[in-house]
Amino acid sequence: MYPLGPDGPEQPDREAEERKGAARRFRETDLPLDKLWTYYYGIGGEIDEVSLDAYLHEALDIPAAQVNLIATAMTEMTEEDTE
Amino acid sequence: MTAYGHSTSFGSGQHELPDVDMRLQELVLDSRDIAEFLTDLSVVAASRFSTPGNPVHCGVTVIRHKRPEAVASSDAEAHSLDELRNGFGDGPCLTALRSKAPLLVPDLARECRWQDYVQAAVARGVSSILAVPMDLAGEAEAVLNLYSGRVNGFSAHDLATAEAFTGHAAGSLKLVLRITQLSEARNDLALALTSRTIIDMAVGAIMAQNRCTRDTAFGILTKASSTRNVKLREVAAAVIASISGEKEIDTYFDE
Repeated sequence: MYPLGPDGPEQPDREAEERKGAARRFRETDLPLDKLWTYYYGIGGEIDEVSLDAYLHEALDIPAAQVNLIATAMTEMTEEDTE
Repeated sequence: MTAYGHSTSFGSGQHELPDVDMRLQELVLDSRDIAEFLTDLSVVAASRFSTPGNPVHCGVTVIRHKRPEAVASSDAEAHSLDELRNGFGDGPCLTALRSKAPLLVPDLARECRWQDYVQAAVARGVSSILAVPMDLAGEAEAVLNLYSGRVNGFSAHDLATAEAFTGHAAGSLKLVLRITQLSEARNDLALALTSRTIIDMAVGAIMAQNRCTRDTAFGILTKASSTRNVKLREVAAAVIASISGEKEIDTYFDE
């Protein structure tokens, strides 16, 4: 089975940093927004495409769990790209 | 289709191109993807501009998301010339693209721009090049490249015909790009639905086993995925398999 345990404490002061990081990563990867959203939805994402767009432009706060999923989606998609 | 099958239209230089629209429509319907459409397009273009004493090779490059996305050519000769150009990173094709205007190089031997590329092209027997960009209204960028073994291989007439031809072709290419985009989006969504089912199931299983919230279950799954460098979907599939032994999880939906 997989390591089970709590997520660890949330650090709200890191949110702005994470937003900035995600926005920068999105620009660097050059992924089309609709493709990223579809992939993110496919791994369980909950926010809609417009909100995702806003988050990636540092204009919207979203739950930490969604931040993780967006990061996961970008990582998995860029890995697929370079395969 | 053979490269020079349309001998009746050789060098006629007509600007009206009455049969081109029909021909292009057929190409759109017959081709399975962008590459196939572009290959057929190059073949049609090459045959239109070739004359018995002056065979013309044709290549088309489509640039999307800042990368050359599809490159197609009428024959091996044009293919190697296009590859050559991509190798050097610059040439008449990219210059035409930037200036959004047709570019005619009547005699490569007298050309001072793109030195490395020109030298290599001359070595392959190319003497004149005509590069015509296509207006795709921001969806992508494309250029039609025509290569001739003759100095002054393209007349003013040819230039006008080439512009008219790419004008028609751009419309068809836009259509092909849009169709491709839609079918890609459809495939991505179908994949997403299947993967989401697997992940939701695994999340539910973890919630039941650990008596935890959905967010916590998701956190466990993503942590397992990133520490093992395995895709979330695959971790989820492993979770389900470890519980029920099920390997194939399908999502059913109407198409």
